[in-house]
Amino acid sequence: MPSPCQWVRSVLAAWLDGELKVSTAEAVRRHLEQCESCRAHARLLKESWRLLDEMPPAPVRSGFTGRMMARLVEEKELNRLEARLEPRRRRRQVVASVLGLAAGLILGLVLHTWTGLPEKPKRPIEREVSLNVSFLEDADLMDEIAVIEAMDRLMSDNQPDEGV
Amino acid sequence: MLTFQKGDELAFQELVERNQSRVIGLIYRFISDAADAEDLAQEVFLRIYRARKTYKPTAKFSTWMFRITANVSLNALRSRSNRRDDVSIDQITDFGDGPRAMPDPDSRLPDTDLHQRELQEKVQEAIRALPEKQQVAVILSKYEGLSYADIALTVGCTTMAVKSLLARARDNLKDQLLLYIRTGRGRQRVS
Repeated sequence: MPSPCQWVRSVLAAWLDGELKVSTAEAVRRHLEQCESCRAHARLLKESWRLLDEMPPAPVRSGFTGRMMARLVEEKELNRLEARLEPRRRRRQVVASVLGLAAGLILGLVLHTWTGLPEKPKRPIEREVSLNVSFLEDADLMDEIAVIEAMDRLMSDNQPDEGV
Repeated sequence: MLTFQKGDELAFQELVERNQSRVIGLIYRFISDAADAEDLAQEVFLRIYRARKTYKPTAKFSTWMFRITANVSLNALRSRSNRRDDVSIDQITDFGDGPRAMPDPDSRLPDTDLHQRELQEKVQEAIRALPEKQQVAVILSKYEGLSYADIALTVGCTTMAVKSLLARARDNLKDQLLLYIRTGRGRQRVS
């Protein structure tokens, strides 16, 4: 529960501004009549508030409306230009995106071709097949050699004796 | 505003004509620079122009206009304080209480003018030292004479919150300006 002085000080600003209900304002007034300390506090608040009147008002140059309307015309012109540029800007963005994508693809392709893919190591079953194939190839070659030798032999057997 | 909203461009010119001094005056209370205040006032009216289609007359036009004005002013103050952080030493002219701060003996300004200027600077500093919401409440209450209810609508809070904001603001101002009340430097003009 605040003391009467605390309560009065919390509403003093509103009292000075005339923002309190009549009954509350009357209660504050009665307290101030009796309390020297709160009266002094109220005087300080009032006087410091009055010091704010020392601030000079703003110097307003004539012709503000004309300058304002000129700026508005500029703003409208800018908006009109922006609106005209907007479709072009969007088209430019689409073209730039497509070109970027194409360039990326081409670069990827070039890099792929240039570096080449590393040869995959053969798996054991593939190695087996490869060995078998080379063995078969060797066997065919052996067969061919055998056939040639046999033919040579036949030819030399059938040849007439030159000295006879 | 409603006529302008219906497409009457001349109504906008009328609106500018009628409200310019209030808007410029209010901005000036925040930033204390006449040229900047005019630029920012143009920004306020441009925002009003751009928002004409979305404006709903649920509150008073002046409340809406003051809200835009306060926002534009606070944004300008924030960007100024950001810029001040980057300021180079060459740009600093206030060297505090060193020899340069001594009064110029050749100055022809009379004492009363010096006191008046010093007091204005102190008042300005005291207002600037307040938190943003208190600043807005003080400026709207003191210089625009708005009621707590109208300040609440402008700031977007309750009347009770405004009451508390202004109570704290006035206490802060009293503490900041105490010297000028007690020494009598301010008292000359205080009734």
